[in-house]
Parts: sequence; structure tokens; C-alpha cells
Amino acid sequence: MSNRLHPRSFLWGLLPLLALLLATPARALDGNALLKQLDHNLEPESYEMYRKLINIEPDGKKKEYVLYTVKKGRDKMVALFLDPPSDKGRATLRLGDNMWLYIPNVGKPLRITSLQSVVGGVFNNADILALDYSVEYNVDKVEETGSSYILSLKARTAAVAYDRLKVWVDKATVLPVTIEAYAASGLLIKALHFSDIKDFGGGIKRPSVMETDSPLYKGYKSVMLYSSLRARSFPDEVFTLNYLPRAGELR
Amino acid sequence: MRRLFCACLSLWLPSAAAHESYSFDVSQFEKKPFEFNGYAELKAEQFTFDRRAALYQLGFFDQPPRDDFDRGTGSLQLEGLYRHGIATAHVLAYGSYTHDDTGNDRDTRFYEASVSVQPSSHATYDLGKKTLSWGKGYAWNPIGFVQRAKDPNDPELSREGFVIADGDFVRSFDSTLKTIALTPLVVPTTAGINTDFGTADHLNPAAKVYFLYADTDIDLMMLGAGAKSARYGVDFSRNLGTNLELHGEWAHITDAARPVVDSAGNITPVEASATSYLVGLRYLSDSLLTTILEYYYNGAGYSEGEMRTFSSVVHDAYDQYQATGNAMPLTKLRIALQPAMAKPNPGRRYLYLRLSQQEPFDILYFTPALTTIVNADDRSYSVAPELLYTGVTNLELRFRVFWLHGARLTDFGEKQNDRRVELRARYYF
Repeated sequence: MSNRLHPRSFLWGLLPLLALLLATPARALDGNALLKQLDHNLEPESYEMYRKLINIEPDGKKKEYVLYTVKKGRDKMVALFLDPPSDKGRATLRLGDNMWLYIPNVGKPLRITSLQSVVGGVFNNADILALDYSVEYNVDKVEETGSSYILSLKARTAAVAYDRLKVWVDKATVLPVTIEAYAASGLLIKALHFSDIKDFGGGIKRPSVMETDSPLYKGYKSVMLYSSLRARSFPDEVFTLNYLPRAGELR
Repeated sequence: MRRLFCACLSLWLPSAAAHESYSFDVSQFEKKPFEFNGYAELKAEQFTFDRRAALYQLGFFDQPPRDDFDRGTGSLQLEGLYRHGIATAHVLAYGSYTHDDTGNDRDTRFYEASVSVQPSSHATYDLGKKTLSWGKGYAWNPIGFVQRAKDPNDPELSREGFVIADGDFVRSFDSTLKTIALTPLVVPTTAGINTDFGTADHLNPAAKVYFLYADTDIDLMMLGAGAKSARYGVDFSRNLGTNLELHGEWAHITDAARPVVDSAGNITPVEASATSYLVGLRYLSDSLLTTILEYYYNGAGYSEGEMRTFSSVVHDAYDQYQATGNAMPLTKLRIALQPAMAKPNPGRRYLYLRLSQQEPFDILYFTPALTTIVNADDRSYSVAPELLYTGVTNLELRFRVFWLHGARLTDFGEKQNDRRVELRARYYF
């Protein structure tokens, strides 16, 4: 009897090993890499864009705001109110965890906190001046469902507005579908729902509508519409208190 | 038939709501070379006078006695902007018409009228009338060397500027020191320019240096001797968490002058260096209650004893006027001391507390607030509840009541009114 292994026996012997390999994922999912990919898909690193915020009351009454926003790098952002006239010229600046609000009548930027709201309603300053998720959060856990990844995020520092986020990410596009924001106590503060994926040009394809509701504001809803999002670079000096009163000149 | 129609409608409505679509035409917000906006405002006020108060007696001794005073004011603020290349012209004009129990009054003025040139993102040059706003304090700014004092009862009101020439130079860094900015300026005074800044024929150089260092705003500022005595100061502001901000100011004024009256009625100018400071915080609770708390030490202000003496001398002069008709002592006091004593807070130590609750009971755009200012020396105070509603786009409605409390010869006890009711409607366009 020959000691030589018969090819068919060899294949049969490999089968259990093959089955084992197939049962185990090729590699564990890297949550933080996934979050970075999501950030990259949402916005270029430096950009300008226009946003409309709509606060909707339970009786259907609406109040709308239009903002021009510029961002540079990981943590520099300016948002300038263009409409309505009662808010025109107000500008907010974010540099890392620092936030300021410039009100033309007051004539100087005031430090504000991320949980305050300059527009009222469900959106607060942290929503309007939101940085990349991967800058503010670490991924604690990744789960998979049929068409989504579910990322559990924990704030990197106590200065971040929401202690935890739960993010439903569409597997095919690696874009957010729903984000739930929780306080440190575990209280659900708000939920963000993304929809209407639009091609903004320059390789940017992302949701153009974000709807927000909150158990703290039952029956109320806030909507953010995105437009004219494009990559653009800015000098660092644009993101300073001295430049804030002149933010309108950037457009 | 109607029932059937209603049933159909009720079936259709939820589906319509579920598929609500939103529109955003960004073209209507494109940048234009010319911009124009402003507001129109109507304000009604009713004062309840305290006829035994020193400031009432000083202000109204030569008028028929009155317990109440009504005032209505209509005002218009217009702002225009014109861009051409790297230059921008900016105008802020204010006009008001006031009708009260003593007659009518009109006021029109340019709060600002300046040209800015911005050759790069690092540098800007301004020439013209401009309102500067130095300092981190909400109610007071002891380091506001080149601006008109703000009204602590309405700190966010627009203020008239001065004619200045300034430069603004900014650099950013990717380090613990994130920003440094230098703002040198001059506030020239002549017989026709900046007459209310100080004496004429001075250049009045000033400068501010700003640092954003270790997430803390720090400003150093100075005003050279000229129309006013030399003064210098420092301020800071820092967030201690997502809901707590801390700020402070410190100022030193050389040779601060103020008129002081002694118990015999002699008025003498007192000149001495003065140090003032302010510390404050802003806190936002989980229930969206914003607290602003500030302590202000005004080294150039009047001590409790000086204020008591002033009130006592006015009462004596008023009694003399009532008995003899001799208005000379009151007139002298009015000319020399009323401008200083009728300021909102002429004393030395004050506490400011403002509590404002954002959107209570889920009422969007509704903000009730309560503000109190306490003279920490004599314990007199004012308290002002306020209701603010901004739910109608571009319309702001504000209702406030001020109550002033204090014993005789105290700061708030000797103000001309005990109560003020104010209703303001402002429409932006």
C-alpha cells in the first residue's frame, strides 16, 4: 500500500478546515476605521456648504434658518447665519472644544457651551458645529445586521456634548442612517435620521436631509437640509475671533 | 357624502405628513455687493416715581410733581454694507422719536460709518466711526477703555462708536498657543471729532493683544494718556466644561477723576488711581436654565459713605428749595454730580445675577428670565422679571418689570423710580 495521499482523500481532509475558515470572518471589523470612512464619505476634510434648519412645532408651524458653514481640518469650523433677518450676521466659531457666538449688536464674540442652542428647538450648538465623529468619539462595539453596521460610540472627553452615540451605518454606502445620542446617565437626548442621498459633485455623495426628534421635545422636529457642499481650503486665520465679524466675506 | 369626504381626508392626511418634502433654493442667498437690513421698534414704558428719592428731586425739582411718567418710543435701526474688491463700507444708523409726559424728542445718529480694507486673511485696516467692544463681562466691562459704557439693564443693546483708525493683525498656530492678534488703534479727539471721548487735540493711542492659549481667551489692553488718563488691563475667558464658562477682567486707571460732595455741600474733584475688576461665570443646567453671575468691584465708583452724603445733601437742598425757592444748591449739584450719580451703577461693589430658562414647558422660542443687580455695600437692589418670545419669524416681543428696593440714602433706594414697566416689540427686516 502506497503511503502517497490520494488527491481525493486530501480534498476530503481539507473540507473541515475550509468550513472552519468560512465560518470565521476574514478579519474582525475595525470600528474606528469604519467611523473614519463614514466621516470621509459625509464631508471632505475642508469644505464650504449651505444649510437650512427648519424647526417644526407639533401644530405644523415652522421657523427656518439658513447658515453658511466652512470647516478646515479636524476641529475648525465657522457657521454664519444668513437668514432670517433677526439672526442675520450671527456667527459661531468652533476650535476644538472651544465655541464662541458673535452677535452683531453685542459686537464681540462670547464663549458659549456646546449644549446651548443658538436657534432654539431640538438642534443645539454641538449639532450645528458638529465635528467629524471620529474626532470626538471612540468606537466601543460593532454589531452587524442584514444591511447595517451598528456602532456604539463613547465620547473621547467630557467636553463632548453627547456621552454616547449609537450609529446605524448602511453597509453598502458606509453612510449613517440613524444616530441616537445619549447623555452619560443613559437618557436618550435625540435621534438623527438621514435620508435623500444626493450627489454634490466632486465625489461627494451623501444624505442631503437630516431629521431630528427628541423625547425631551415631544411632537417637535428639526430638519437640516444640505446644499452646495464642496471642498475648499481656507487659511487658519479665518478660524479666529478677530475674523468672526467678517465671516460673510468668505462667501 | 361629507362624512365620506372627511374619512377620505383623514386617511390621506397622515400619508401626506409622512412624505413631507423640503425645499432649499440656495441661489436666493448668494453674496451680493450691497446688503441692507435693520429693525423697527416700538417701546412703551411706565415709570412709578419715588418723590422722596434724591435722583427724583435732583432731576425734577423744577417741574410739576408727578408720581407716574409714561414714555413711548418708536425707533429704526438701519444697517448697510457695500463691498468693492478688498474694501467694505459699513453704515449703522439709528433714529428714534420719543413722546412722554414732558413733550417730544427726536434723535438721529450714525452709530457706525467706516471703511475696512482686508488685503489678506492676516490683516484688516478700519477707518471711520466704529463700535469697539472690549472685555468679557456680560453686565459691565471695566476694561472698556475705548467704548461707551453698556447699560447693565440691557447689555446687548447697540451702542454708538467713536471715530477711530485701527489695524488688526492675526496669526494662527498649531500648538498650545493657537491664536495671537494685535489691534493697535487711535481715537483722535478734536473740536469736532469724538468730543464726548475726552478733551480735544489728542491722538489717544490704544492697543489690544489677544491670545488663545491653552483653550483660554486672554486679552491685554492699554490706552495711552491723552484725552483721558492712561489705563491698562487684562481679561480672560475659559470653558470649564460643556456647560460652564468662567471669565474675568482687571483694569487699572491712573488719575481717575470724579466729583465728590461733602456734608456741607462743597463739591470737589477727587483724582486718584483706581483698580477695578470683575469675575463671572455662565452656567447651563441640564434643564436649560442659564445662570450668569458676576461680581464687579469699581475702584473709580462712589463708596457707600459718599453715596449717602450725596443723597443727604440733595435732600437738604431740596428741602431748602421747597422752603425758600432757592434753586442754586440743587442746580449746582445737578450740573456737577447728576451725570455721575444718575449712571445705572455709580457705586463701588455690585453683584449681577441673571437666570433665564430656555423654552420651559416645551414652549419653543419662549424665554422667561429674572435679573437682579445688588449693591453689595448697602444691600439695595433691583429685580427684573422678563418674558421674551421670538416664535414669529423676525418679530421679538419682550415684557419686563423693574422693581427697585432699598432704604433711604442707599443706591437703589434713591433712584428716581421705584418701578418701571416696559413692553418692546421689535421687527427685523
